[in-house]
Amino acid sequence: MLVARLRFMLGRGLKRKLSDYEENMAGLSSAFDSSRNLPYSLKRQLVLNMCLTKLQTYKMVVEPNLHRSVLIANTVRQIQEEMRQESSQQPVNVCNGIAPNPLSYPGIDSSGISLHLPSGSNQQESNGCNSWSAEGPIENSLLMVSDDDMSSAISSILKDLDFMEDISPPTSLVPAGDDEPKSPESTCLKLEDDRQDLKGAECVFGSFEISNSTSYLKDLAIDDIFEDIDTSMYDSDFCVPPLMTPRPPSSATEETLKTFPSCNSSSANNIPICRTDLSELDHIMEILVGS
Amino acid sequence: MAGVAGGGGGGGGGNDFQWCFSQVKGAIDEDVAEADIISTVEFNYSGDLLATGDKGGRVVIFQREQENKSRPHSRGEYNVYSTFQSHEPEFDYLKSLEIEEKINKIRWLPQQNAAHFLLSTNDKTIKLWKISERDKRAEGYNLKDEDGRLRDPFRITALRVPILKPMDLMVEASPRRIFANAHTYHINSISVNSDHETYLSADDLRINLWHLEITDRSFNIVDIKPANMEELTEVITAAEFHPHHCNVFVYSSSKGTIRLCDMRSSALCDRHSKFFEEPEDPSSRSFFSEIISSISDVKFSHSGRYMMTRDYLSVKVWDLNMENRPVETYQVHEYLRSKLCSLYENDCIFDKFECCWNGSDSAIMTGSYNNFFRLFDRNTRRDITLEASRESSKPRAILKPRKVCTGGKRKKDEISVDSLDFNKKILHTAWHPTDNIIAVAATNNLYIFQDKIN
Repeated sequence: MLVARLRFMLGRGLKRKLSDYEENMAGLSSAFDSSRNLPYSLKRQLVLNMCLTKLQTYKMVVEPNLHRSVLIANTVRQIQEEMRQESSQQPVNVCNGIAPNPLSYPGIDSSGISLHLPSGSNQQESNGCNSWSAEGPIENSLLMVSDDDMSSAISSILKDLDFMEDISPPTSLVPAGDDEPKSPESTCLKLEDDRQDLKGAECVFGSFEISNSTSYLKDLAIDDIFEDIDTSMYDSDFCVPPLMTPRPPSSATEETLKTFPSCNSSSANNIPICRTDLSELDHIMEILVGS
Repeated sequence: MAGVAGGGGGGGGGNDFQWCFSQVKGAIDEDVAEADIISTVEFNYSGDLLATGDKGGRVVIFQREQENKSRPHSRGEYNVYSTFQSHEPEFDYLKSLEIEEKINKIRWLPQQNAAHFLLSTNDKTIKLWKISERDKRAEGYNLKDEDGRLRDPFRITALRVPILKPMDLMVEASPRRIFANAHTYHINSISVNSDHETYLSADDLRINLWHLEITDRSFNIVDIKPANMEELTEVITAAEFHPHHCNVFVYSSSKGTIRLCDMRSSALCDRHSKFFEEPEDPSSRSFFSEIISSISDVKFSHSGRYMMTRDYLSVKVWDLNMENRPVETYQVHEYLRSKLCSLYENDCIFDKFECCWNGSDSAIMTGSYNNFFRLFDRNTRRDITLEASRESSKPRAILKPRKVCTGGKRKKDEISVDSLDFNKKILHTAWHPTDNIIAVAATNNLYIFQDKIN
């Protein structure tokens, strides 16, 4: 029963109806709470899955809760550390559910940005060695994430949470010559670092979406003017049916489009929608820039 | 600690007495508008005024009726005194973020003249409001008519002194100061200092010190933001000034620790003077240990000798002179420990419950689920679970103690853990500064309970 539920949940990835997903999660967590027979490693894996799912959900929210994100990230780190210690105690590199092999999963971007539960097909691919199938079906079905991927996932999430200082930061009056003037100096240093990262003082992070999009745009060396536009709607999860007929996209938008992993992985329907919105963006840009 | 045995035992005063329903404010219908959800409750220093803030950014102030021999039953009743819109939803254009208008905290200032002052804050902006009464108006102006039109100066042949005439009481609320743009993260606490001139505001990573008269700058006194955000493992969850020592304040963290800081030691209080942490009990360790250790509220006792912290499952009383463990620990709803995974899944594990002391510091109160709230008597070590519900809302009806059945046979009147309604949570409670009157916020309703003597 539990196995069936697990497969059902993980096999479909994130595109299922949220209510069904929540139902299954509720079933899993109540199984966790009530069953004394669940092996520790399985419980741990369940918790880890829930943590990663939550972090993934937070990435879709405009302004994730910093307190919760930190707590969840700490839980993930704690589990990760435990798993690492266990695997370091086992010298033989065994592909089993108890001591996970730090394999890299194709479903997970190494930069950690597009972290999502692998779909059923990915699971099959990534279950490299045959000994996986020899293990219990539960362990096979569960999401096995490598340590490195988890670390980079947490890092990227926390980094994205880094809110840029306001344009006019609060005047912090530190008496001259007193104890280490950490406040203004470090504020300046942070601003400097952030400036290097974010191409100009105009860049103010507030949300996952903007920061994600901004990093993509930065890679493509697109103007700063994109950065203060909310591009969250261009992720496939938020695409809505176009209200106007699609126009042929410009080359710039095509290039931009290719770096959106969510657009890549989603169905073909989403791509023309993104293109439409991007060409609209283009149009707006022209107006703003006045060219 | 299990529920109290027998009926009647209550918290507060050390004497046996019973809690009675007094009033309930708010809409009755099942459909709760999000904006009406109460997000903070606070009595003023005298207890005559009770303020509530809601998710819609409104503040409602209730005033206690004066003793009136002709209407003995209405003594001690709280009626609406003033209602105003404190905060509006804002849009931060630079970050493309909506700033919620939800009132996170209200703190009263001690009364210094006829007007009342309070601080109210949302996630980003703190406002100082003046609430004043007007019960007289001037009549007989020289330069304008009764209806306000200016009189022709040439027509004025005599001068008169305007007379003050009584009018219907009007309560006006006006914003006197707006303290904005000092917090990058969400403000979780404000606390007025005992010097009555300064106050602190705390967000997830920083604490700022303000002067009530100065709005364009604040001192940053705590900053726990790491240089590299990837190293962030802890956030500030609550902060409060000491009730008597104006240089001392505490702040709690998501790791279950409390730091006491002395502002005289350095300008930036990154080094604490005292560090309060209870060593973890290895037998109760679980995946959720850290999450449930996160402190959601910290409150000094009125005496200033103790402080109380609330984490997910318990309330702890600390002696300020002992850092290594609390002096008292009260279990609020230990039966939830075996349900942590489900509570994590539905995010209830992140609920931030508040706690409060009674006037004499002999009792403490905090909320739970299913509209239950718990009172603990520190002297007798007795505790009681009560419910804020419309069913037990007959005037002056004595509240019946409630009990949660943890397993085995459920007795009559007990409720099993699985039947608890986790959407009905009591996060905000307040205790009158001197009397046994408590205010309990249950979603969109405010319940007021009093002891039977009244």
